[in-house]
Amino acid sequence: MKTKYLKTIGIKTNQPVGRGFLFPYDVTFDSSGVIYALNRGRISQGLGTRIQIFDYDEEWYGEFGEGSGTGPLNFLIPVATAFNSKDELFVSDEGSGEIKVFSQKGIPLYQVGGESARGSCELMGPSGIAFDADDNLYVTERSASRLTKIDRDGNVIYRVGDPGSLPLQFNMPWGVATDVAGCVYVADWRNDRIQKLDPDGNFIKIFGKSGTEQGHFNRPSSVAVDGRGNMYVTDWGNERVQVLDPEGNFLQILEGQATLSKWAEQWLTVNPDEYSARRSSNLSVLDLPDHLQSPYQVGSQTEHLFWGPVSAKIDDHERLYITEHSRARIQVFDISDNGL
Amino acid sequence: MPITRENIKTSPKYRQISHLLRRAGFGATPGEMDRYMGMDYSEVVDELLNVSGTSTMPDDVIFRMFPEYHASLGVDACANWAYRMVSTDSPLEEKIALFWHGIFATGNDKLNNPLVLLNQIDTFRRNGMGKFDDILLDLSRDPAMLIWLDNQTNHKDSINENYGREILELFSMGVGNYTEEDIKECARAFTGWSVKNAEYMALMGQKDSIWPYSRISWHYEYRQDDHDYSEKTFLGETGKFDGADIIEIICRQESTARFISRHLYNFFVEDEVQVPSWQEVPPKNPEAISTLMDAYFEHGHDLNKVLKVLFESDFFKESEYKKVKGPAEMVINVLRLSGGFEEPSLSMIQAVDEAGFMGQLLFYPPSVEGWHTGQEWITSGSVLDRVNFSSARLTDLSSPGIRDIVNRVRDRCGTDTRPDYVIQVFLELLGIIEVSDMTSDLLLEVCGGENSVIDTTIGSFDVMASNLLRVIGSSKEFHLV
Repeated sequence: MKTKYLKTIGIKTNQPVGRGFLFPYDVTFDSSGVIYALNRGRISQGLGTRIQIFDYDEEWYGEFGEGSGTGPLNFLIPVATAFNSKDELFVSDEGSGEIKVFSQKGIPLYQVGGESARGSCELMGPSGIAFDADDNLYVTERSASRLTKIDRDGNVIYRVGDPGSLPLQFNMPWGVATDVAGCVYVADWRNDRIQKLDPDGNFIKIFGKSGTEQGHFNRPSSVAVDGRGNMYVTDWGNERVQVLDPEGNFLQILEGQATLSKWAEQWLTVNPDEYSARRSSNLSVLDLPDHLQSPYQVGSQTEHLFWGPVSAKIDDHERLYITEHSRARIQVFDISDNGL
Repeated sequence: MPITRENIKTSPKYRQISHLLRRAGFGATPGEMDRYMGMDYSEVVDELLNVSGTSTMPDDVIFRMFPEYHASLGVDACANWAYRMVSTDSPLEEKIALFWHGIFATGNDKLNNPLVLLNQIDTFRRNGMGKFDDILLDLSRDPAMLIWLDNQTNHKDSINENYGREILELFSMGVGNYTEEDIKECARAFTGWSVKNAEYMALMGQKDSIWPYSRISWHYEYRQDDHDYSEKTFLGETGKFDGADIIEIICRQESTARFISRHLYNFFVEDEVQVPSWQEVPPKNPEAISTLMDAYFEHGHDLNKVLKVLFESDFFKESEYKKVKGPAEMVINVLRLSGGFEEPSLSMIQAVDEAGFMGQLLFYPPSVEGWHTGQEWITSGSVLDRVNFSSARLTDLSSPGIRDIVNRVRDRCGTDTRPDYVIQVFLELLGIIEVSDMTSDLLLEVCGGENSVIDTTIGSFDVMASNLLRVIGSSKEFHLV
């Protein structure tokens, strides 16, 4: 099985408005395929935090939200995004303990968790979020090391998990995804594994363990599941993405192969000195000393490889989007039959 | 009874170990002192010097919360380092990195690449207590230093003397111990010592460019075809020297041993005059410098051994409170005392900013010469920042470290509720602060006077403790080490 690299989207920015990313953490898609990116920004300063809207061709549509503060459009430590079937955008926020819900235009609608929430649900560090086909919401809670299933009215259906490393225990869980059968996959971050649960929260299987070998993980932050049940895991600490089959067998490692995005080309074209210096450089070939051989250092020293792959999402066209917070971009891969 | 150094009822061993940990670390919490008091002084020295398996707040936990801490602005990188300093159980490893950062001062204002500075600090952690030859060799291959001093433009047919000059003047021998010709020959030996894609990286740094995909970290590259392989004469020796040969010659010099010894003395023992005056002003303690120089040569330039001699010397043990706490040292000391950094927090950025307001924003030295130290840390503006910061943190009784100190004092006081005793215990737990008569009078006043009785019911005791800690944090003595 081989995925096929398609393109790179994005460019870095340090501006509080406009296109470009500052520590993007996640993307999601509305029913028409428009992309919503969670631009986390520098949360320590509350700078640059917002949701940005664009499409696969990098056409820019706008943005909303900002960092710090407690208003309906403010985020403290936003982590993940997801649309339900009604095209309502959910944004989790570990800092405020809320999941804020917006229209496609960015109009605040209501929230899950927190003081003025719909339903009765207290969340402790809501992190990853995902919906099943019935619009039930799954939330990983970092601070409580548990998974919570919430109905459409914001009420808890069940909670499962507590801190630990046994099955159905978690250690600061992060990303979460569902498959076509309604099963749930949790990126059990500090346990270096993926846990699969059935829709009722019963344990099914653990995939992976700590390490750098194929099928091993170092702080997996996110998992996406395609229509065939294959898993795409952002192996965050190993600076790579791993593809596993439905049984958890290793299929492939993606290391990243970024190229210049449309926005990047446009920027470099109007900055010819940097474009020229860049063209006479070799940003791919490495001869690193021993103390810089870690995946983290390799990622930081190269440009085309993943650095900070934090989120994996799949759109309706069977395209895999890998968001890299440290490179401020999204690498897109074809995972359809044609791409295999 | 006035509170004086003499009547603080603390064992000599406690005093010595506490002093050692203030100098070789950032001060010990009461809990840490409990552990260290189970060891001999020399065992503590050995543990500090022989670092293995350091435990700190894990990078992954920090980066999950703050991905900007490794790839964004200089102040974010400061916070990254601050977490290490606050949470490490190998404090000398961080203190020695701070020591070298002050000498091999490299600034983000020119590099605009915090990641390479964090890598440089990591190099200091790795080799900062090793053989001085290795330290200089790693420094000379450090990409941050190479770009900082423009060595990427030091070509075989057109030398740039910048690094050649500074390695002699500021990093090893000091002014007056070499000639202008030696500088040129030194620079020739370092031609070709560059950075991968140096031209592009330097341009990005110069323009503070983060485009298109964030800053790219740097690594050393030896450009063979740009190295001057011809014969050179340096400090009276002639050969086809390259940079490593030059470093070997430098490290054999008596002036190098003296220069490093004075730096170690100034940082760990007693505030000295600033480096530019070293040519004219002799050391305060020539015998101590001589002892350190002897250790340098006797142990093959191994600074670990030199530091062992220093920490076990009488001149070190007798040097309590002869130094002004540097801003970073002060901030980290207070944060370690106050605790509460088990998880990353938004407040760390504010804390490192505070050190900047006090005159020492890490990664932003005022020049290649580094920061001036000692009494020069104290200005009318920095005093206010110091007092405000330390008082605010020390009086936050909700922070776990301060809560622990207050509870310990209350427990130890038991039925002895005399103000002077309560004050003594507070001072001891904060690092046996030697206080003047004026400060002791103030502290007694806070407690209601010499003959009052301390109310140990929790609410009243907390109020008294908070007031006492505010005065202690504001006192001159708290800012000495």
